[in-house]
Amino acid sequence: MAESAVTLTTPKELERVPLVTNDRKHTWITDKVSSIVEERTPLWWWVAFLPCSLIAMIGLFCIGYQISNGVGVWGENKTVGWAWDITNFVFWIGIGHAGTLISAILFLTRQKWRTSINRAAEAMTLFAVVCAGIFPGIHVGRVWMAWFLAPIPNANGIWPNFRSPLLWDVFAVSTYFTVSVLFWYTGLVPDLATLRDRAKSRVAKYLYGIFALGWRGSNRQWRHYEMAYLLLAGLSTPLVLSVHSVVSFDFATSIVPGWHTTIFPPYFVAGAIFGGFAMVLTILLPARLLYPQLDDLVTRQHVDKMSKIILLTGTIVGYAYLTELFMAYYSGNPFEKFTFFSARMGIDNPGWYAWAYYVMMFCNVISPQLFWIKSMRTNYIAVMTVCMFVNVGMWFERFVIIVTSLAQDFLPSSWRHYSPSWVEIWTFVGTFGIFLSLFLLFMRFLPMICMFEVKLVTPEADPHHEPKKEGQH
Amino acid sequence: MSKRILQHPTEPATGRKYWRSLGQLGDTPEFRGWLTREFPQGAAEMQGGEVSRRNFLQLMGASMALAGLSFAGCRRPEKHLVPFTRGVEWSIPGKPIFYTTARPSRRGYAPLVAVTHDGRPTKIEGNPQHPVSKGATDMHSQSSVLDLYDTDRARFFVKKGEKSDAAAFEKALDGLIGAAGDGAGLAFLLEKNNSPTRERLHGEIAKKFPKASWTVYEPLGTELADEAAAAAFGGGVAAVPVIDKADVIMSLDCDFLGVEGDVNTIREFSARRKVTGPGSKMNRLYVAENRYTVTGGIADHRVRVPASQIGAFALALAAEIATATKDAALVQTATAFGTPAMQFNAEWVKVSAEDLLKNKGASLVLVGSRQPAAVQVLVAAINAALGNIGKTIVGRKLTEKPAQSIAELSKDIDDKKVKTLVIVGGNPVYNAPEDLKWADRQKSVEMVVRLGYYEDETAAHAHWNAPLTHYLESWGDGLAADGSYVSVQPMILPLFGGWSELDLLAKFAGLLKPTGPELIQETFKALAKPTEFVGAWAKFLHDGFLADSAAKPEALKFDGAAAAKAVTGKSLAALAEGAYEVVFTGCAKVDDGRFTNNGWLQEIPDPITKIAWDNAALISPATAKKLGVEDNGLIAITVGNNTLTVAAILAPGHAENSISIALGYGRTVVGQVGAHTGFNAYPLRTTTSPYFVTGATAKATGKSYKLALTQEHWALEGRGSDLTREATLEEYKAKPDFAKKMGMDAHIPPNVSLYTNPPLNKPESLDPHAWGMVVDLNTCIGCSACMVACQSENNIPIVGKEQVAEGREMHWIRTDRYFASTDKNDADPEMVSQPMMCQHCENAPCETVCPVNATVHSEDGLNVMAYNRCIGTRYCANNCPFKVRRFNFFDYNERNVHGRAKNPDDRKLFTGLYEWNLTSERGAEDVTKMSKNPNVTVRMRGVMEKCTFCVQRIQEAKIATKVAVRDSGDVRIPTDAFTTACAQACPADAITFGDINNPESAVSKLKASERGYRLLEYLNVGSRVTYLARIRNPNTEMPGAKDIGKAVRPKQGHKKAGHETGGKH
Repeated sequence: MAESAVTLTTPKELERVPLVTNDRKHTWITDKVSSIVEERTPLWWWVAFLPCSLIAMIGLFCIGYQISNGVGVWGENKTVGWAWDITNFVFWIGIGHAGTLISAILFLTRQKWRTSINRAAEAMTLFAVVCAGIFPGIHVGRVWMAWFLAPIPNANGIWPNFRSPLLWDVFAVSTYFTVSVLFWYTGLVPDLATLRDRAKSRVAKYLYGIFALGWRGSNRQWRHYEMAYLLLAGLSTPLVLSVHSVVSFDFATSIVPGWHTTIFPPYFVAGAIFGGFAMVLTILLPARLLYPQLDDLVTRQHVDKMSKIILLTGTIVGYAYLTELFMAYYSGNPFEKFTFFSARMGIDNPGWYAWAYYVMMFCNVISPQLFWIKSMRTNYIAVMTVCMFVNVGMWFERFVIIVTSLAQDFLPSSWRHYSPSWVEIWTFVGTFGIFLSLFLLFMRFLPMICMFEVKLVTPEADPHHEPKKEGQH
Repeated sequence: MSKRILQHPTEPATGRKYWRSLGQLGDTPEFRGWLTREFPQGAAEMQGGEVSRRNFLQLMGASMALAGLSFAGCRRPEKHLVPFTRGVEWSIPGKPIFYTTARPSRRGYAPLVAVTHDGRPTKIEGNPQHPVSKGATDMHSQSSVLDLYDTDRARFFVKKGEKSDAAAFEKALDGLIGAAGDGAGLAFLLEKNNSPTRERLHGEIAKKFPKASWTVYEPLGTELADEAAAAAFGGGVAAVPVIDKADVIMSLDCDFLGVEGDVNTIREFSARRKVTGPGSKMNRLYVAENRYTVTGGIADHRVRVPASQIGAFALALAAEIATATKDAALVQTATAFGTPAMQFNAEWVKVSAEDLLKNKGASLVLVGSRQPAAVQVLVAAINAALGNIGKTIVGRKLTEKPAQSIAELSKDIDDKKVKTLVIVGGNPVYNAPEDLKWADRQKSVEMVVRLGYYEDETAAHAHWNAPLTHYLESWGDGLAADGSYVSVQPMILPLFGGWSELDLLAKFAGLLKPTGPELIQETFKALAKPTEFVGAWAKFLHDGFLADSAAKPEALKFDGAAAAKAVTGKSLAALAEGAYEVVFTGCAKVDDGRFTNNGWLQEIPDPITKIAWDNAALISPATAKKLGVEDNGLIAITVGNNTLTVAAILAPGHAENSISIALGYGRTVVGQVGAHTGFNAYPLRTTTSPYFVTGATAKATGKSYKLALTQEHWALEGRGSDLTREATLEEYKAKPDFAKKMGMDAHIPPNVSLYTNPPLNKPESLDPHAWGMVVDLNTCIGCSACMVACQSENNIPIVGKEQVAEGREMHWIRTDRYFASTDKNDADPEMVSQPMMCQHCENAPCETVCPVNATVHSEDGLNVMAYNRCIGTRYCANNCPFKVRRFNFFDYNERNVHGRAKNPDDRKLFTGLYEWNLTSERGAEDVTKMSKNPNVTVRMRGVMEKCTFCVQRIQEAKIATKVAVRDSGDVRIPTDAFTTACAQACPADAITFGDINNPESAVSKLKASERGYRLLEYLNVGSRVTYLARIRNPNTEMPGAKDIGKAVRPKQGHKKAGHETGGKH
């Protein structure tokens, strides 16, 4: 101890990599971000939006078709009662984790690099939760009776069953969505005011004016704003962890081998963050390509940091997979062992879904290992490729958990293969249409980068800032 | 209960006093006028031939009055119509009335009780007082109620394809009868039926038309057995096995518990499989058969033998027994036979023969009625040598007069000896032997009058087709399996008019067409010789049978010389290399094709193959490999000049080079249910080889056909020690509680719960009852009668082939069938059947996960479903370890399952979901609705359903008890006062239901059995269903005896044991 006291020296301060490159000024930031909304709709936007909305319409048609005919238009059967519906639900809800995590947890931990990506990530979260929310709603046999899930007093005098994880889901997801919307909207208010002030058309002025809630940028408003944002961040943080934990209870509290496991809550949360970050990158990288002016705001450093999180969470997920296998072996329970080694890995079994297991393993565990290499983390093509793998892998993770466990559980007499119908496939594809359409609308009409927060991380915002003598640009 | 007096409405002084049919009523102009004024819409309904709700109510009223009085009373002969709007005084709304009746079949009449609700029969039960039934029924009796309401029934009198009416038909008959003279040219073709009244009418007709010919044809008949009995024992007598007297049974290709048996044979067999303790004496069953049957499945030793080699097998057996007994008659008979074509496992034959010899007089060798008469004679000789005649085989006097065969009738037609052919029932155009070219022959007859239940293949080639009544619509009588005299009485007026068989025969006999039981009464008088007719007749109808009328055993004497003569020169066909034998089997479901249009039967999976809605060619995996065909592959089988392309399915335990095809499918002129089901194997059958044929060739076509299976996986996956526990009798004696410590139960620590649910610990504080069930795997043969009984009781919809193929059948109880073997490629696995229904877990996993409280626990321990509350998340089904929950993926009750019939040429049934789309027609037909049990909800789409332990019966019993005890407060239901539909139907008494809180109840006593175990105990679900482990009684000397049951033992170490046969199913 004495020695260390002796050798203690103040380390030389490392120069931080600037979060906004090229030393952009506040005006520049406002101009560039606002211009995305203000300029004429680019052609590529229509090229992207029309097919996306068409796909969304197909998805909505499939939902209508399914509701009017019955769940039988899907491929589910007496044994496999949930398949793509809940797979898609968990997939989308997982994606909906990154945004709030970036906004809330990174905000509380003062991770300044979050500022230029949090708005888009949050928007993505909301749209993913919208897509997720579709499935539990429509997968039930009698959609028109779904209000039985709500704890409202009614003539039947029957309450929902508070022991059911599905009910917890209802509460968890609806709370998460509500808080996420509030959080996102609160953060939008100052920027909406900026757009209002810059707006040229009366309609835009009027609408932005309405939603800016009379923001004038006074100190008092800023103080209230900061407090509200902090409180909402505090509220959101446990939600990020709780939502997917609760979703995992749908499986963990059941008795189905492959579902019934205590590892699920942390494993699902890690998986959600993993999948969520991959989706954030999947969205942001093309956006960055389309709006080169954002290059100085969403930098390689952001991509690098997110890749690191993907690497970390992907490895946690891989660890969870291996733990599951070990526990199945260690339990000595033949039913558990069968589910993991035979039904999933395909050992000594027809292995209907073994391929899905290996797809999942490769995409989620192997492919992110590429991010140990720094050059890969900053190579957009490599990052995009890995992210696509992760997106696929995380869908398969949920498919493997849900379908392989159900298809071959306790009584071999009831084992049934499941394959999706066209309605199921197009409903899922349709949710991508909904998701992308919503995101494209968001890009067009709202500032996709949080202007005022980005300004805070520029050197200019530092009271001790002294502009360099020699201009860097 | 005192007899209720019916207060009839005052009858009008003038005019028609009563009407018998709607037509009569509806035809009066006054009525029509009144109707139009009163119910303008109803009037329109009355015009059509359909049964609508309104005229159904009237029919109902009619049948109520006709029916007269309840099970507990006696029957009034008067016929009155009481319109339902008046209220029928002795009918308690919502309460069923029970009537005894009997269902005709070629094996005799099944004594039944029909449950009628508001005048419509809705459920069939066995007659509990009749010794043959004792309340049990088979699949076909259970499903017969659906036939009654079949929308595709023949509804009209049809003359050359044109709609006609009863009056014209009667007139035509009068013309024919008048012109018949001495009966030359008049021929009758009927189905086998032992009704004494029919015999009497036969006699009358023979008197009136001495030259008329009388033919009885059954495609799956017993003519070879009759021929053999005549040769071995002399004529006029049939040999009847007494299975419960036999300690050792050897079945040679005789499915006496399945398609060649009935409720009686199952009961006699299972009586000797009842194990009450390690000291119980069980019978032992050896089976030699070509394919797995339910009989083979329950056997202690089974050997695969092609059907054509059964004769050689019998000969090998005879040689062993002859050597030991030196029985002269057997030696004489056996040596008269040619040399056997095939060698068998000598040890198998020798040791089993020794076992039979050890049990002389208490052994029984059965032979399939499909085997050639010579083989059957040989088996009779074996039985005689074993001293079984008169002990385990008794004689029964034949009651039916001899009839000619369909081949002889064909010859008569060729010789132009037949001018008028009267066909009653049957369907010879579809099922007559191929070489008779029956359709052409029938067409060549001048006048063909047909009385048929359907407008089928035969009707298409008849000049007249009159609708035949259902047995629930007509008067009749018959003999049950024990020869006792049983009554058949109508429950409802004929829904579509129609004549019964007896009506038509009476007409030909020159009697008046009966309007009631007159014909039967006359026979009854002759048979019963009652001192006081009215009371005796009432008792006959009330009991359903005539007391002490069971047939007395006739003396049987084996005639060695005659037998030897009968087998002399009979050679046995050898199985040539590269050729196959094709075995035509009766279908456990649709029989010979007569039940093809019954949706319940079509949807029940075959007890062995688990195929629904189709038949298939069963081949062994090795033969399939040789043919280069896999499951669902189409193979072309050629016999002579006829080729049949049929879907193949790999059947474990099937003999090599043998192909089994169930008859009764591939009908061409059939209702919408039976359309496009399976493959017609009849064209391969000829008069000379009606039941199996050798020398067939087969080849794979490379095409495939989708079969719908309810169970895709055949193997136990090493889980036998957990799911289907069993031991041999010796092991059981050594360790009576073996079943308690098997599988997971041998390892798991005791289940401890942190939360002790007060109602679970002290359930009797809430309700005095606790319902439970015991399933005895030792007597369950897997016949699936329980499944149909459940379907009928609980309004379970049929879903159609496509939905079954999707894995969405709705059966609340199913029979799981596993093939178990330690060797994956074992050609000879063991078979286990396990009925599976909701286990009513005390700690039910489905209940905790339902978000809306739609499935909850009742105070008497039921896991109940509130359909109104269910939103259909399907979470409960996912979390059910037994997978007994069924989801209404579509509105199965509201959509026509057979919408595909709209596109009859479309054989590609799996192209899509078009039957279920928005454009498909909604609504079930009114006639179909009539078969529903009014005490059970008809479920809509999107809700989950499952076995309720027949909660409607529980509630009814509770209410009845509460009413009876009044204020005394002792609301406990009397011990075993009622039971569930499955338990009631089970002919093997394998299912027992009752109150486990009542120590006196049968279920409580069985639960205490040391053989009892609960499935997946380690999950701590606390199921209310206990399975009793199966006990096998193998002969330790037999080859392979030590391996019996090995597949269900726990795995030894980590060695891969207990694995499947054939991988995925």
